[in-house]
Amino acid sequence: MLAELADARALAGAAQRADLVQRIDLAVERMRADDATVAVVGEFKQGKSTLVNALLRTDICPVDSDIVTAVPTVLRFGRPPAAFLQVPQDDGALASVPVGFEELPRHIAEGDKNGVRAVEVRLDRRLLGAGLSIIDTPGVGGLDSAQGNLTLGALSLAGAALFVTDSAQELTAPEVEFLRRALERCPRAFCVLTKTDLYGEWRRIVEINQGHFERAGLDVPIVAVSSFLRMRAQALDDTALNAESGFPRLVELLRRDVLGAAAENKVAAARAEVKFVVGQLRERIDAEQAVAAEPAKAPEVARRYAEKTRRSAGLAGGSWQTVLGDGIQDLSADVEHDLRERLRIMVRRGEDLLAESDPRETWRDFQAWAQREAAAAAVDNLMLLVTRTEQLAHDVAERFGIEYDSLDVDLPAPDLALRKVDELDVSFQKSGMQQFLGAFTAARVTYGGFYMLGAVGAFFSVAFAAPLGLLAGVTLGRRMMKSERERQVQQRRLQAKQELRRYVDDVGFHVGRDCREATRRTQRFLRDEFSARAQAAERSAAATAAAVQEIAGLPPEERRRKADALAEQRRRLDRLAA
Amino acid sequence: MSTLLGQVRALLDRAIAEIPDERLVQARRRVDEPLRVAIAGKVKAGKSTLLNALVGEELAPTDAGECTRIVTWYADGRTYAVTAHLNDGSAEPRPFTRRDGAIQISLGRPAEEVEHLEVRVPSSRLRQHTLIDTPGIASLSTDVSLRTMAFLEAEGDRAAQTDAVIYLLRHMHGSDVRFLESFHGDGLSNGTPVNAVGVLSRADEIGGCRLDAMESAARVAARYATDERLRRLCPVVVPVAGLLGAAGATLREEEYRILAAVAAEPMDRIVELLLTADRFAASGPQRAHVLSRLGLFGVRLAVRLIRERVVKDSAELAKQLTEHSGIDRLREVFTAQFVGRSEVLKARSALAVLDECILAGSPGAGSPGSGSAPAGSSGSGAPLAGEAERIRASAHEFVELRLLHQLRSGRLPGTDEQLTEMDALLGGSGGAAYHRLGLPPDAAAGRIAAEAREALARWQNIAEHPFSPRELKNAARAVARSCEGLLVQNQQG
Repeated sequence: MLAELADARALAGAAQRADLVQRIDLAVERMRADDATVAVVGEFKQGKSTLVNALLRTDICPVDSDIVTAVPTVLRFGRPPAAFLQVPQDDGALASVPVGFEELPRHIAEGDKNGVRAVEVRLDRRLLGAGLSIIDTPGVGGLDSAQGNLTLGALSLAGAALFVTDSAQELTAPEVEFLRRALERCPRAFCVLTKTDLYGEWRRIVEINQGHFERAGLDVPIVAVSSFLRMRAQALDDTALNAESGFPRLVELLRRDVLGAAAENKVAAARAEVKFVVGQLRERIDAEQAVAAEPAKAPEVARRYAEKTRRSAGLAGGSWQTVLGDGIQDLSADVEHDLRERLRIMVRRGEDLLAESDPRETWRDFQAWAQREAAAAAVDNLMLLVTRTEQLAHDVAERFGIEYDSLDVDLPAPDLALRKVDELDVSFQKSGMQQFLGAFTAARVTYGGFYMLGAVGAFFSVAFAAPLGLLAGVTLGRRMMKSERERQVQQRRLQAKQELRRYVDDVGFHVGRDCREATRRTQRFLRDEFSARAQAAERSAAATAAAVQEIAGLPPEERRRKADALAEQRRRLDRLAA
Repeated sequence: MSTLLGQVRALLDRAIAEIPDERLVQARRRVDEPLRVAIAGKVKAGKSTLLNALVGEELAPTDAGECTRIVTWYADGRTYAVTAHLNDGSAEPRPFTRRDGAIQISLGRPAEEVEHLEVRVPSSRLRQHTLIDTPGIASLSTDVSLRTMAFLEAEGDRAAQTDAVIYLLRHMHGSDVRFLESFHGDGLSNGTPVNAVGVLSRADEIGGCRLDAMESAARVAARYATDERLRRLCPVVVPVAGLLGAAGATLREEEYRILAAVAAEPMDRIVELLLTADRFAASGPQRAHVLSRLGLFGVRLAVRLIRERVVKDSAELAKQLTEHSGIDRLREVFTAQFVGRSEVLKARSALAVLDECILAGSPGAGSPGSGSAPAGSSGSGAPLAGEAERIRASAHEFVELRLLHQLRSGRLPGTDEQLTEMDALLGGSGGAAYHRLGLPPDAAAGRIAAEAREALARWQNIAEHPFSPRELKNAARAVARSCEGLLVQNQQG
């Protein structure tokens, strides 16, 4: 595909279309840069970090019998190896701070406490070099935990999920439920059964789990591995042992199903780009060929393209802009309303909960509840944003496509040959729009390149008033004590409610700001993308009009030579478009 | 003054005479039966294995897949016998066979129709308490999970059928905490942290079955014990390797010989064999059987013990396995938390049933049929309820339980030191005098008396100190009374 891109670039260069050359350059860059992301998810203590370590033959992810991974760790290709912490700045954006490898385990285990949202590690490994990046996530700790929701949220962007469970026992109901919800967001998932070295019965566990998947209607392949054997195989340089560890099959799956699929997507995106460029170039060559064959038609063809240029100039500010503008407004209003609504319901339910109990006793449970609910609200809100963004991109692309196609409508067709070419082009451009949409990932634009949602804010610790002491007893007397105690509970509830509202406001502020940011990104992305296309169309038409005049003015001998050169270029273009 | 259980017995006898309710008769019978302790936990947490280890006999069938599907009671009996209690209230004896010791019951009907099974086993270990094996929570067979929840939870009109619970945790899961919370509803009748003990089960598997697994497990358990949320639900967490305990209790001479043969092989061959479970199992069917009995950690440990000549015969190996399993420590905690407190736990369960029956027999909820019956039952119901209340309020055992509950849910003011001492003195780590005073089990009577007197003075001081908060004063008075109790007990014994 890279050769084709280079070919298209050369053709665009020959046609003196610097704008198209730049498009190709960007496409090449994207093709090189984009990785396929694999998220490693699962319950606590199932061996996720060990799996990542064994897979990449490293010891970067800290492994301990008690301490658990607290922040997501992203591993991607890089030479020399380096590590960064993703720390939120005052304005909410994440900044990468370089960190030494010896510091890493501490940050990964403590993470949140120091405000670290994620850790990024660049390693020099073949699997990563092939375009894979791996995220080791904290254990979800139950489906409805805050972390579970955050992990689900991050899955929308992952190319694949490795769901990790160990061979000590069959899958539990919450695990299968989590997997089911994960599959809604990330259709490519594998179940990795770890620790096969420790349990003689692991084959039966595989069978039982397969039965559970069948009954649940989930199509998830199970790979059984032993990270221990893989590490040992590496230490002893023992291929047979490596085969026994089960990892070759996992690597094969990752290469074929994850990297392969990602490569296909990338190729599809690049091909869409090439087709767009070819379409732009071919228009001119077709017109030139027609005029070269029949110079008398030159004025007519030139008029046609002058008209098309005029129309194209309007395309940049066409009605697709209106669709985009209105769409963005609707989208941000809807998403904001959705968030407000979710948070409003959360506050109401939270207040009901507080009204039933004394916050001094239930405060910790209540905090856990509130964080879980806030995470769920934020993630669902984000999902809405992604779906709506997709829809908007579709609408805009469709409108743009219609306008783009109508550029040629009711223009006088110079001759039969040209009309035929135009018909070809129309259908060709339509598929171009389809391809744009095929390669467009709403989640990627929405998330702005970051995979991780951080923990959703923190509660302040609330200092509840101390229970009544001696002085109150002396001054108030028995009956008064009772009512005073009730008053105190009321007071605590009030305090707790205030804190709940503050927390929800806080969450609303941060999530709302992220959403607005994402909406702006979406708007800018779509506007730039289609403006660039409109400009390209205008330039193509203008260049064609000029070129046609030029050819018509050539002496017959040169014109014939030019016709040969054009035929050759045409053949190259057709080859590229095929 | 009669004992707590004596008072409860008398009250129940009276209640049976006044309210004809089968539940009361059962409750009365239950007072004289052993304490009922349920073993609960998520699916595959190792409940049946732990039960076998506690009884010291291969009783409950165990398997790699989900195995226990019906609530099964294991109680002391003269001979082995199995009774199926059906949903319609009837009971029928069922035939059974024993495979490798495990009791295989032929139900002869769908499992849904069986409410629970009762297995009678002649065992001294079951004399003081009946153990109840439950199907796992969070199982993919939802009906199995629901059955356990229904069995353990005190739901609305029905008091819990168990007096205490051993809850098995593998690692902290969301559903674990939810389960414990639902079991410990608020208030004394439903359940309090004083009738639950946590077990960090399958402790031998923590950290990849390495030989230091039990130390890691102890660390994890210690961390759990400091977790405020968890401590409020079950105050003690004991790491236990159930498989090791069960194997230690039932180790056969032949199994020792197989392990000794492995240990006699050259070192590199041993390393190779014990690298993975697969390898060891593949080296012979007998070895595969030993592996299924001891687990990989157990085999590794046993081979090392034999090789390093720490043990020389099967009896010594069995002893070492039991020691490593942590089952003895669990038994200690079990005795301190449950057996030593069985009177008050049983009394509490019985009073809960009585409450329920009085409630059902009171006007409004009672039978609207005859005119005189509701009047009669309401007339006699009130004194019954009053008497039940009086027992609850006056029995010091109940006061202690209630205080412990308050203390552990963080509702009592005081310094950490004060609270820790209060927990112990109220019997939080065991009812015996040495438990309460934090002394070694063999402490002399004189030392106990001296310590108790010191504690008494200290807590009387707190109770009378003008700056103590009111709640603490009340608690301190009760603690002082516990100390007095210790002194009296000491003089008598």
